[in-house]
Amino acid sequence: MPLLFLERFPWPSLKTYTALSVALLAGSIFSAYTTVTDPGFRALETEETPAPPEVDLEHLNNDLSNTELATTVLWYLVTDSLFVWVLVNTFCCSLMLIAKMIQYVVFGPLRVSEKQHLKDKFWNFIFYKFIFIFGVLNVQTVEEVVMWCLWFSALVFLHLMVQLCKDRFEYLSFSPSTPMSNHVRVICLLVSLLLDCCGLAVVCGVLGASYGMHTLSFMAAECLLVTVRTGHVIMRYSIHLWDLKHPGTWESKGTYVYYTDFIMELAMLFLDLVHHIHMLLFGNIWLSMASLVIFMQLRYLFHEVQRRVRRHKNYLRVINNMEARFGIATAEELAANDDDCAICWDTMLTARKLPCGHLFHKCVCVCVCVCLCGSCLRSWLEQDTSCPTCRTSLNINGDGGQARSQPQVGGLEDNIGPVGAAADARPHINQHNHFFHFDGDDAHHQHLGHCSSQQFPAHQIQEMFPQVPSYLVMQDLQLTRSVEVTTDNILEGRIQVPFPTQRGPTQGSAAPDEQEGPSAAAEQGASEPDNMEVRGGRFSKSAEERQKMLRQRKEEMLQEARRFVHCLEFSTSKEEDTALELDLTVLRRRTMAAAAERRLQNLQDPAP
Amino acid sequence: MAGTALKRLMAEYKLCFLCTGPANEENFFEWEALIMGPQDTCFEGGVFPAVLSFPSDYPLSPPKMRFTCDMFHPNIYPDGRVCISILHAPGDDPMGYESSAERWSPVQSVEKILLSVVSMLAEPNDESGANVDASKMWREDREQFYKLAQKIVRKSLGL
Repeated sequence: MPLLFLERFPWPSLKTYTALSVALLAGSIFSAYTTVTDPGFRALETEETPAPPEVDLEHLNNDLSNTELATTVLWYLVTDSLFVWVLVNTFCCSLMLIAKMIQYVVFGPLRVSEKQHLKDKFWNFIFYKFIFIFGVLNVQTVEEVVMWCLWFSALVFLHLMVQLCKDRFEYLSFSPSTPMSNHVRVICLLVSLLLDCCGLAVVCGVLGASYGMHTLSFMAAECLLVTVRTGHVIMRYSIHLWDLKHPGTWESKGTYVYYTDFIMELAMLFLDLVHHIHMLLFGNIWLSMASLVIFMQLRYLFHEVQRRVRRHKNYLRVINNMEARFGIATAEELAANDDDCAICWDTMLTARKLPCGHLFHKCVCVCVCVCLCGSCLRSWLEQDTSCPTCRTSLNINGDGGQARSQPQVGGLEDNIGPVGAAADARPHINQHNHFFHFDGDDAHHQHLGHCSSQQFPAHQIQEMFPQVPSYLVMQDLQLTRSVEVTTDNILEGRIQVPFPTQRGPTQGSAAPDEQEGPSAAAEQGASEPDNMEVRGGRFSKSAEERQKMLRQRKEEMLQEARRFVHCLEFSTSKEEDTALELDLTVLRRRTMAAAAERRLQNLQDPAP
Repeated sequence: MAGTALKRLMAEYKLCFLCTGPANEENFFEWEALIMGPQDTCFEGGVFPAVLSFPSDYPLSPPKMRFTCDMFHPNIYPDGRVCISILHAPGDDPMGYESSAERWSPVQSVEKILLSVVSMLAEPNDESGANVDASKMWREDREQFYKLAQKIVRKSLGL
């Protein structure tokens, strides 16, 4: 039981809460009604309030119209120090019901992370505002507390909704096949939230002004914060939707997104900072718990602003450096190296060229000119200053000293100038249509930290790709002098693999339910060649179909592996049964061949 | 920047021939993969399920990979996380020995990660022991390691 308590605080569900609130409201209205209609009350009131002159009580009671009665009851409820809280509670409850309805209509079931965010945000807000009301403002009258409570409950409602929209937007943007109606619903909600914010601003103007400058600015700050947040989400959303509609790559999208984020985040931080400073100064008591909390928050905000500004400086520097140092690849260069951006794998309309030189077999050769599309390159350079392909330091860190201490990069840049991005600058790449290779960090030997890759002889490659004839491997190795590049050439299909001859009729005698051995790692996707047609259309347009196919492939693979292990055990238990063993290797070869064929076909017929 | 990441993941999914992909396309940033135990090693025949989770700024940051089946390997943490240099961003270096040349870079891909993992299964690197027991056994009692690996292979196949 205590554990259960720890896991989830036993808050009442929304249903119970609503029922309780309704009961409370009904009870208080009833009690107010009985009090109001009681003749004694009228007398008391008339005594207290001098407004109505001598009126015949009898006459009044009879003629008291319904509307008048209602206003009297309401007035009584509002003025009573206890019943007014019932009204506040009702207001909160109705807001919650509205929120629930919106959630039902717009979002559907919430995801775990969204719930968590909401919960965190809610409690944070409640605690902070508690400190604000009682620690900073030091409100004395019940009336004021009630007003602030109403204000903050409206505010927390808007904040939570915006947060939800933001989370949902991020989630929806993770999936390529979100129906448009989902986007439209979220956008509609966001726009109505923005309108609500405007309404709140009006309320703030009307109410705040009558309570003085400080109250007005407190309210205005809160109001502006939530408005800016809403606006930010709307802007990001519209950029995203525009990008979805826009065919092809939208090269300047990154810049737009960056500047929206930058301006909006900075605006929010700045507003919050000013708001907190105002709170600190207003409180005028420097040694209190509230000011301690505000100080903590201020410190955090200040660091955030600093971080953001630093990041922006870095961004500007990267942009400047990029434009100054890495020229835009000419149309011929792009055409000569017909390839996609190495980072986003999208086709490049414009590209930048990196000058890289690095060591290969103890002789320096200027090897790659990576063309990257501008926005990808920029986002990479913001976090790292080396060429993503060959890891050569690009020396774009603004520290002049460092840049000057390594002048050879500049030299290389000069060297590369006349040579250009032409093919002869990269003699070791098996020329196909690929602009990149992954020298220096080939996947296969990456984990073998200290092993120099040059120590891997040809048979290593043979082990990895038994389907590739050794003479081809040797040939390519002599050409590239690097295991990595050769491996990559094989992987990318730049080495044309002839189909092994044992495939097909030679094994025609094999049983129909032949066991296919699992292929080498590289060709895991391979299985029966008959499935080729199915796989060829593997990347179907419908997400469900793709998911189904993936599941099916997994199942197939597992089945195959099971059969293989059974087979293996069978063969080891009967050592003399070498025929089966032979079968196994042959089968393995055949799967390999099928995989190679498929790969080839894929290369010739690129995915739609 | 989720848009770029999404496009790139779509492209990779289209072109990748290994048995991997998002199990549920509502979230394209969680992939499942089946890793095949490499031939002629103690993991031969095994089919090991793993989960790849991509950050929203992929491919600038590397994904995380975790085996969801029992694994006993020097470079796999007992909870299934894979410790391999290609999955480490150039900045962080948990073991303090990798040069940045073998770390993550945006030109890497899911296919390359899976291939590295397969070759890691074939040739454990006991210098960066994520699982100390496994590293020790790999160094000192190869036979026992093979036996355990075979057990894991059978378990992964549900046999």
